Amino acid sequence: MTRYGMIIDITKCTGCYNCFLTCRDEFAGNDNGNYAAAQPMSGMNWMKLIEKERGQYPKVKVSYTPVTCMHCENAGCIKAAQGGAVYRRPDGIVIIDPVKAKGQKQIVNACPYRVIEWNEEKQVAQKCILCAHLLDKGEKVPRCVESCPTGALIFGNLDDPKSEIAKLMASGTTEALHPEFGLKEKVRYISLAKKFIAGTVIYGDIDEVAGNVKVSLSGDGQTRLAKTNGFGDFEFEGLADNADYTVMIEASGYKAKSVKAKTLKDTYLGEIVLKK
Amino acid sequence: MAQKGKPKSGEKTVIKGTCLSSFGDNSNVACVDVKDDKILRIRPLHYDWKYKPEEFNPWQYKARGKTFVPPLKSPVPPFGIAYKKRIQSPNRILYPLKRVDWDPKGERNPQNRGTSKYVRISWDEALDTVAGEIKRVVKKYGPEGVCLQAEGHGESKVVNAAHGCSTYLMKLLGGYTQQIRNPDSWEGWYWGAKHVWGNEPVGLNMEFSSNLYNDVAQNTEMIIAQGCDPETTPWGFGGGCLPSLMCYWYTELGIKQIYICPDLNYGAAVHADKWIPILPNTDVALQLAVAYQWIINGAYDKPYVKTHVVGFDKFSDYVLGKEDGVPKTPKWASAKCGVPSRIIKALAKEWAGKRTTVAHGYGGPYIRGPYSSEPARMEICLLGMQGLGKPGCNQLTFVEGTMLGAYTRMRAGKGQAMGMLTPTSIIRPMVNAAYRGYIPFMWKQESMIPKTMLHDVIESGKYDIYGSSDQMDPVEDQFKHYTYPLKGKKEIHMLWTDTPCFTTCWNDGNAFHRAMRNDKIEFILVQHPWLENDSIFADIILPSNTKFEEEDIGADHWPVQYNCVYLEEKAIEPRGETMSDYEIVEAIADKLGLKEKYNEGKTIQQWIKAGFDGSHMEEAGLCTWKQIQEKKYYVVPTDPNWEKIPAGMIEFYNDPEKCPMSTPSGKLEFYSERLAKNFPNDMERPPVPHWVEKSEFHDERISSERTKDYPLLVISNHPRWRVHAQLDDVTWFHEIVTGKVRGPDGYLYEPIWMHPKDAEKRSIKNGDIVNVSNERGEVLCGAYITERIMPGVIYIDHGARYDPIVPGKIDRGGAINTICPHNVTSKNCAGMVTSGFLAEAQLADMDGLRRKYPEAFNRPYDKASGLKMERVLYKGEK
Repeated sequence: MTRYGMIIDITKCTGCYNCFLTCRDEFAGNDNGNYAAAQPMSGMNWMKLIEKERGQYPKVKVSYTPVTCMHCENAGCIKAAQGGAVYRRPDGIVIIDPVKAKGQKQIVNACPYRVIEWNEEKQVAQKCILCAHLLDKGEKVPRCVESCPTGALIFGNLDDPKSEIAKLMASGTTEALHPEFGLKEKVRYISLAKKFIAGTVIYGDIDEVAGNVKVSLSGDGQTRLAKTNGFGDFEFEGLADNADYTVMIEASGYKAKSVKAKTLKDTYLGEIVLKK
Repeated sequence: MAQKGKPKSGEKTVIKGTCLSSFGDNSNVACVDVKDDKILRIRPLHYDWKYKPEEFNPWQYKARGKTFVPPLKSPVPPFGIAYKKRIQSPNRILYPLKRVDWDPKGERNPQNRGTSKYVRISWDEALDTVAGEIKRVVKKYGPEGVCLQAEGHGESKVVNAAHGCSTYLMKLLGGYTQQIRNPDSWEGWYWGAKHVWGNEPVGLNMEFSSNLYNDVAQNTEMIIAQGCDPETTPWGFGGGCLPSLMCYWYTELGIKQIYICPDLNYGAAVHADKWIPILPNTDVALQLAVAYQWIINGAYDKPYVKTHVVGFDKFSDYVLGKEDGVPKTPKWASAKCGVPSRIIKALAKEWAGKRTTVAHGYGGPYIRGPYSSEPARMEICLLGMQGLGKPGCNQLTFVEGTMLGAYTRMRAGKGQAMGMLTPTSIIRPMVNAAYRGYIPFMWKQESMIPKTMLHDVIESGKYDIYGSSDQMDPVEDQFKHYTYPLKGKKEIHMLWTDTPCFTTCWNDGNAFHRAMRNDKIEFILVQHPWLENDSIFADIILPSNTKFEEEDIGADHWPVQYNCVYLEEKAIEPRGETMSDYEIVEAIADKLGLKEKYNEGKTIQQWIKAGFDGSHMEEAGLCTWKQIQEKKYYVVPTDPNWEKIPAGMIEFYNDPEKCPMSTPSGKLEFYSERLAKNFPNDMERPPVPHWVEKSEFHDERISSERTKDYPLLVISNHPRWRVHAQLDDVTWFHEIVTGKVRGPDGYLYEPIWMHPKDAEKRSIKNGDIVNVSNERGEVLCGAYITERIMPGVIYIDHGARYDPIVPGKIDRGGAINTICPHNVTSKNCAGMVTSGFLAEAQLADMDGLRRKYPEAFNRPYDKASGLKMERVLYKGEK
């Protein structure tokens, strides 16, 4: 059997938007018969990128999260549709029938991921079909996967234990974008952005950063250790949301310093001054 | 007239190079699926589509126990993927146009250029008029009376070259006045760094970039990306998205990546281990302080300096303050550049302690500001202090890498055999034999005008300068004296452009607009596929087509995974009445009785064959003409000995006597005797690199009195979602967060990045319409409030489409270059200054503008893509 799935590796996404653009290139103005009606030339997002600035000046980074139809096993859209207008193929791809789904606006609202959109011109609900029309013609991957220059999108047969995707799924490193929805998504993620706490340690008595200084972080039931780098910077990545943490900094000859932080957002503690 | 074939049915796949640099070189090769005269999709080329990988000798890198296997598909960037929208733009020019109030036999009304409307005319009328004007101008003023703007970036085409077909025709008429293309993305390297290390013709390391990707992987511990964005500039040119993969791999190998730039640019946003924000165009202060730290701590490679450097003493004297009484300490630098002194010290320590390569990608705030010669020179000095050329210690260029260096070597008769940034192919497949456009070094007209001074020269009728500013000229040219007009020759009276983008890409675009209204310029001819930017100054507009509507040949011989040569079949029929630029000039030549001489008796197909023959593929026993016709592409095998090609500047490092640089001494010249001798009084580019606070040419520092009115420093990068002026009509980019800001009025405004602190002071919220202004004019932008920009700095990409509210004064399109400084880099450097200048940004008074200029707000406008061609059509109004 072939059952398709996709893994999105956030650590490899540069935000080039090739996936979004390729999806437009494939479906905007191109009618694909039973698979999908033509998208309007602009405005729909079967593949979208959520762009998020993390941290505060000057400790900032950007995470890009490509979001598309998750091709869920427990797909709410299938239940919401009337007359079998949304169905799952044996290979797991969920398709909205462009004819049967005409006028069925409720399908749009059935998806908690909000990845189904209303095509006003064609009066039909639409979403990603994993390029089923091309896979059926012998293509190996959907177009977004083909055009991704960094390999951030990994597509394949979940039932083939030798496939890269099956191995990754088995590794336990993947997660759903919203596990709380409980939808058994076939599109899963690696390294979704969590929260970070970072800071820069400096000496108060001399005009120097404090490199190679011991920093410990405790909170959320764990303790992590780090050392500041040559710029006096430290960073703890992958922290829990809304948790209380304490950062402790110890440098010989200086008073230890502790700083508290709550991960409501990614937090840059700024310059932390050590005193003798 | 273009020959229209029968519409074809059925699906087919054609190959197109989607690189947007022009010059007959290509890259970013893609496959285009077409059905019934419609482009279905544009996708990467899989090198193994019609060949087995072993036929092109796949390569991989191994370093520090890890392996990098390059993908077997071309790294097509977003521009190639979305190009369909450019072809379909509602701003395409589909038939010839004439300015309604321009009468070649009567009143020419130059004062109305930029506001007059246009009427449709036939090709016959257009060609007769153009041929008549060329004859008239040549007769009255001599061929020098015709100025050609015939270079710059555009679609990369070979026979149907986007730029410079006109030069072939004008040569037949006795010549022309050439607009000289300045080193527009690497000014500082050209005017500064070449005096330290030669490295012709760019000044940025391209001559010695062989195998540098591998050298970094093997040996480098830290990369400093100074004003460099590997996630932006490589896209439009050679390299595509390969740099993204390299940066990720370097992270995996534990190589630290430090970004020094006023903005958290797109590369920094995903690859940086450390972002050091710096005020625009102040890098030289930081660099001087790094040198200061190294000198006082003895933290530099003293034996290397002894054997590889001249003039270190004088350099050291300046750094330590012995020359001017000001030691260039981290505290001194901090006040100039905004980087805390302790961070400068940390950087100096890290750099001295780790094998460091400095990375670039052209463009950006670092190299296009006032006095840009100085940071470029300083950087080479710093690299020299740490043993430049040592394994892991080089200067790496993510874009192109080797491209222009290859030309130099060819010109010097050193052949094509040289390495690339990536593992080289056994032969670089170059198809220039078919190229019918402008090649920078092939011919230079004696009568010439530096592009950076064109507006000035039109208005004043003269110049008196040193250095032609030609991007391909060797450094010796910078000591040559030039004046205009040539003795016994006339000024220019006709402008013929196939590159109508000065306003939005060069210095002081508003002054250019004024110059276009000067009555000295009797005729302006524009040929272009889109009605954008300078097109609105034209008297006659001729519609050219895109490469998808043409047949051509291409070769990708830039540093991507594999080099290819390919036949570009026509994808779709020409839209409207368009023709290729080559065909347009051929049609004009025909009217002048010069068709056979212009096309040298060859058809386009014959030129394509000539291009293939010139690639030497068949001679070398690699690919026959028959094979390429059948398969349409050929992947040139990787040189099995690629690893043996010396990496970077290792040969100079090992033996500077045997492998000298191309400076007079053969060494790194921290002090330039040549500059001292030729320009003894030049305080802006003295013999050793200096910090220049201000001068008669520029006053753009935070210490300036002008900051009372214009307190913010502007940086302008090479755009993320355009290639200079190209692609601003691709609607899909506009939907991206940093693409455009849709104003409350529905108009697509060019984003202005502003820190929350600066925005709060001005009551500006995300999405507001902002008026950016200085003495040169006003530009409307859309607010993008972000932590990604240094407080006190605003950032606007250049190249947005010019949409004047008041021509020459107020622009709605976001063309920031309309208010860039007027003056060139410095007195003896005719480079452009398009970043690092003062301005203010306030909430725009839109009601006031609308009341005052209703016409500007009622033009035909496409809500998705922006400007529409119809906006300039004459409908009988007064």
